[in-house]
Order: sequence, then structure tokens, then C-alpha cells
Amino acid sequence: MSIVMSIRGSAANKIFDRYKKLIIAFLLIIFLFVLGEITVSNFLSIGQILLTVKLASFIALFGLCQMVVIAGGGSGLDLSVGYAATMTAVFTASIMDGQNANLWLAVLVALGLGIAVGLANGVLTAYFKLPPLVVTLAMANILQGVINVYTAGRNITGRPSPVLKIIAAKSTGIFPNILFILLIVTPIVMIILSRTKWGLKLFGSGTNETAAHLSGVNVKLVRCTAFVVSGVLASLIGLLLIGNMGIAFKDMGSNYVMPSIAAAVVGGVSLTGGDGNYLGVILGAIFLQTLTNLLVALGWGDAGKWTGFGIVLFILLIVYVSNRRSR
Amino acid sequence: MERVNKTNKTARDSFFRNLLFNPDFSRLFILIVMFAITAVLQRNFFATKSIVRNINSFTPLILLTMGQAVVILSGGLDLSVGPALSLLTCVLTSVMKVGSPVTGLYALVVTFAVAMMIGVINGIGIGYLRIPPVIVTFATSFIWLGIALFLRPTPGGETVDWFQAFYKIRAVEGAPQFFKAFGEVIPPALILVLIGCVLWYIISKTRTGRYIYAVGSNNDSAYETGIDTARVQMQACMINSVFIFLTALFFVGQNRSGDARMGDPLTLKAIAAAVVGGIALTGGRGSVYFALVGALILSFVSKIIFFANIPNAYQTLFGGVIVIVAIAGSQLYTLSGRRAVEESKLT
Repeated sequence: MSIVMSIRGSAANKIFDRYKKLIIAFLLIIFLFVLGEITVSNFLSIGQILLTVKLASFIALFGLCQMVVIAGGGSGLDLSVGYAATMTAVFTASIMDGQNANLWLAVLVALGLGIAVGLANGVLTAYFKLPPLVVTLAMANILQGVINVYTAGRNITGRPSPVLKIIAAKSTGIFPNILFILLIVTPIVMIILSRTKWGLKLFGSGTNETAAHLSGVNVKLVRCTAFVVSGVLASLIGLLLIGNMGIAFKDMGSNYVMPSIAAAVVGGVSLTGGDGNYLGVILGAIFLQTLTNLLVALGWGDAGKWTGFGIVLFILLIVYVSNRRSR
Repeated sequence: MERVNKTNKTARDSFFRNLLFNPDFSRLFILIVMFAITAVLQRNFFATKSIVRNINSFTPLILLTMGQAVVILSGGLDLSVGPALSLLTCVLTSVMKVGSPVTGLYALVVTFAVAMMIGVINGIGIGYLRIPPVIVTFATSFIWLGIALFLRPTPGGETVDWFQAFYKIRAVEGAPQFFKAFGEVIPPALILVLIGCVLWYIISKTRTGRYIYAVGSNNDSAYETGIDTARVQMQACMINSVFIFLTALFFVGQNRSGDARMGDPLTLKAIAAAVVGGIALTGGRGSVYFALVGALILSFVSKIIFFANIPNAYQTLFGGVIVIVAIAGSQLYTLSGRRAVEESKLT
């Protein structure tokens, strides 16, 4: 009997441990809203919260890219997601040209671009053993270059198809539609990551590379596919971005890269891989968006936003990742 | 007789093979080839004017690459180099006031202090807190960017007249004739690079220099033998800061303004140049002087591309491709070289 009790006790502890970072992220959000309500008037309202959640959805979706790549281990991170999304948006704008009928072609193009970018990242990092951050940063440069070449001497023409506009920009009642996308994506992601073979292999590779390799997991292939998944997701988010903005422009995705990584860290995704909960990433995204709103409301603009993001990320790295030697 | 021939042949084979897979030799060889191609393509390559111009355009990358190389050798990696450089130019141009030469001195002191702060903070993150270097410097890079934007939301700022001495001594009003003549022969940029080289030469002869290699090769072993690994990594970051500081002096001397975004593209180039120069990203292997060679190779490559008359729009694209090719190529070369050495040992 006592054994059962102690098991139960440890199970409760385990659950608490598991959701500790989620709870911290949640408390941080509440703290920011309270702080905002005190310093700025009218900070806390239903409209404001829904707007925050809508804007945070895009960060959360980019955060999914990061989470998949990070979970595979090997100090993975994907800095090319912003320009991958931008490239898709720029290329598909003229394909869609405001017609629903062309959406399928646009989606196919998006998939193709995403696979190409992801495969390049994956092969270079997993098989050539190059540091992911350097590779994906260079990839971001290359994609930015491709966009520059494409847009040189011509305007970016075309509009998103109405369906995309409805999904990304419009609201049903007071709820923005993008929220429903997030509500559909979240359970699918959680099931794929925790219930499918690929998800287990991914987390296994991140937890212990050698153990995963010895138990027959092709670690390189798993990490490579993680980058492909990230590329494809980023590319599809590009479609949502153009749906939200109504037009495509050169830098539409680049501002999401830093927040997406920060969201993953705030949400308790372990940067060494093998651990992470997508709910945490969503909370992290909401936290960062709230922080942005607060800093903008205080009139600190871009400078305040980046300093704030940098400091928050630095502090969270100290709390979550730091691995001090005990002397 | 046959046997002698055979051994001779294998000996010769292995000699060429060793030469081919001697990384330092092949780097110098590539540098000479690039140098030759540029010399052929550029008109008046050997004229004093174009030599000075080339040195000026290569200097920032050379300095940043050497600094980055020190950090990588110590087992770190600094993604905040570019934003840190931008921040320093913003600080310099914010402290200086036109028409008050003494503010230039204040600016030097304040900016050097800021540079050291940057090194200390990165060093604390990498060394003492042992956060993965790439991610912690990624975080700090946004702090530097934010502060730089606070100081200078749009490019601009004031400089004192004598600050041009870091770029072109001739342009400084009232400088002694001797200095002006000296600046014509040896451009200030070259002196900055020399200062960097001398600085590293002195450090590499001290205990710190050897500790940097020890910590980079194997952090735990170094720690076990009693080296204060955290302090060594912080020192590496601070050395890097000195190099960034020198680069900032050059930039402000040249452009006479500060810009919160100008350093961004240089981060990646400096890392790639260090890798091309044979600095292993795993740390502890490579030479800072060969990092300089790597920076020269990359600079010549971009020069050659410039001569190929490629439209402006393609520049970012080629920059990225060069970085990927350079890094992947170096990695492949190292891997194949190691394999070749192992094979020759086996036979």
C-alpha cells in the first residue's frame, strides 16, 4: 500500500516537474499583463488579449519549426525559417493572384520550396556535421539573396487567395480564425511527437545520440528530416503570412526568427534536445507578444523590443540552460 | 631492384599526398591563386592607390576574423560580433562632438570600456554559466542591437576631425607633415591589423595563450588540470572585443558615422573566414595567423566576383553561397585529409 502511495507521490511530482516550465511561462504572462495594466491604462481587455493571441499565433507556428529541430538534438536551431516563409510568400503571390483556384498550385510550390530548403539545411548539418546555426544563418542569407534577385527590377505583384485571407486575417465573431488553425495544429503535433515512431526517434536522438544509434535509430536521417519538416512548415507559414498581410514584401518573415527561438526557450524546450512540449512554446509566444505590446505601449519601439527580447532570452538561458560547475 | 623502385614511388606518392593534405600549404596555395587571379583582373593592381584601397576594404574582415578565431580556439563561438561592432560605432559617434577634439579621447575610453563589457558579458555566458556559446551570443547580439538602436535609430552621428587618422591620415587637418607622408606609405588600416597581430603574438607567448588552446581542445581535462576554464574563455571573449574595437575605430574613421545595422553581414563572414583559415569549429585547433589567411582568401574571392560584373541584387545570394561552400568544403577537406593520413599509416 505504502509502495503504491509513494509511486503516486512520485508520479504527482513527475507531473509537476513536467509542467513546471509551463506553469512558469503562464505566470510570466500574467505578470506582464498585471505590469501592463499598472503602467499603461487599458492594457488588459478581451480585445487586447485576443489581438495578442492572434499575433502570437504566428510566433508559435514558427516556434514549432524551432521545437522540431531543437528536439532532435545536435544543438539544432533553424535561423532560415523567416526567409523561407518570405520566399514562399513572394513567389506564391503572383501564382495565386487573388484566385482560390490557384491555391493548390501555390501550396505545391510552397511544399517544394520548403522541402528544398529543409533538405539543404538537413544534409549540411546532419551529414556534413556543420553547426546548424551557422548553416541556417548562411541559408537565410542565400534565401534573402534569392528574394533580392527575384524582386530586382520588378514589383512583387499578386494577392493571396481569398481562402488564405479568411484563414489568416479574418475573425469568426470575436475569435481570430488563425486561433482555430493553432487549435487544430496543436493536438496533431502533440500526437505526432509523442505517439508516432518518428516522434519517439526524434526525441530519442535528442536525449542520447549514442543510445539512439545503438538501438537502431538512424540519427542523421532523423535530424535531416527534422530540418525538412521545419522547412516545409516555415514555407506553409509563409502562405499564412501573405494571407494575413494581403501582400508580400521583402522582409515580412525575418522579424519572427528571434521571437520563435525565444518562445521555444521560454516554453521550456530543452536546447540540448530530447525535451519539449508544444503547449509551452505557445505560452512562450504569447509571453513574447505581450512583452512586445508592453514595450510598444511604453513607447520604446524597436530598440526596446530587441533589447527586451535579448535580455529575456539571456535570463532564461541562465535559469534553464546554464550548467555551472560546482566548485 | 623492383622493390626499390616501388618504395621510391610510394615515397614520392606520399610526399605529394602529404603536401596536398597539408592544410597550411593548401591554404597558402589557394591564397596565391586568388591573389594572382585578382592581380590579373584588376587594372593597376600593383599601383599604390589600389593596394591601399584593397587593404582598406579587407581590414574589417581580417580584424573580426582574428578576434573570432580566438573565441573559437577557446571552444566558443561569437554570433554577436556584427551587432557588437555596430554598437561600438554608435557609442563612438554619440560621445564625439564635432569641433571639440578632446571628445574623441573620451569616446575612445568610453567605447573601449563598452567593448570590454561586451566581452565580459559574453564571457560570463560562455565561460562561467556554460550556456552553449552559439545560443548565448545569439541572445546578447539582440541586446547590442537594441542598445545600438536606442543610441542611433538611423545612421548618422558626429565625429571629430582627427578620427579620420584611423582611415586616412592625409584627410586630418593640421596633422604634421611627417605623419601625412607616413600615412601615404603605410595606410592606418595596415597598422590596425599589425596591432592585432602583435597583440595576439604577445598573448600567444603567455600562459593565457596556451590555456586558450587547452580549454578549447578539452574543457574538462583543462579544468581537471587546474586551469580556470571559465576565466580563460572570458579572456578569449575580451581579446575578441579588442579586435572588434579596432574594427570600430576603422569604420568610424572611414564612414564618419555610426549605424546600428552595418555590422550584421560581417558576423557570418568572419566565422566562415576563420573556418577557411583552418580554425576547427570544435575548438582548440588552428592558428590565428592562418585565420588572417582565410580572411584574405574570402576577401579576394568577393573581389573576383565583383570583377565578374555580377549585378548588385546577386550579392547577398553569392555571399551566402560562398559561406556555405567555404565551410562545407573545409569540412570535407579535413575529413578526407584525415582519412588519407589514416590510410597511409595503415599501408
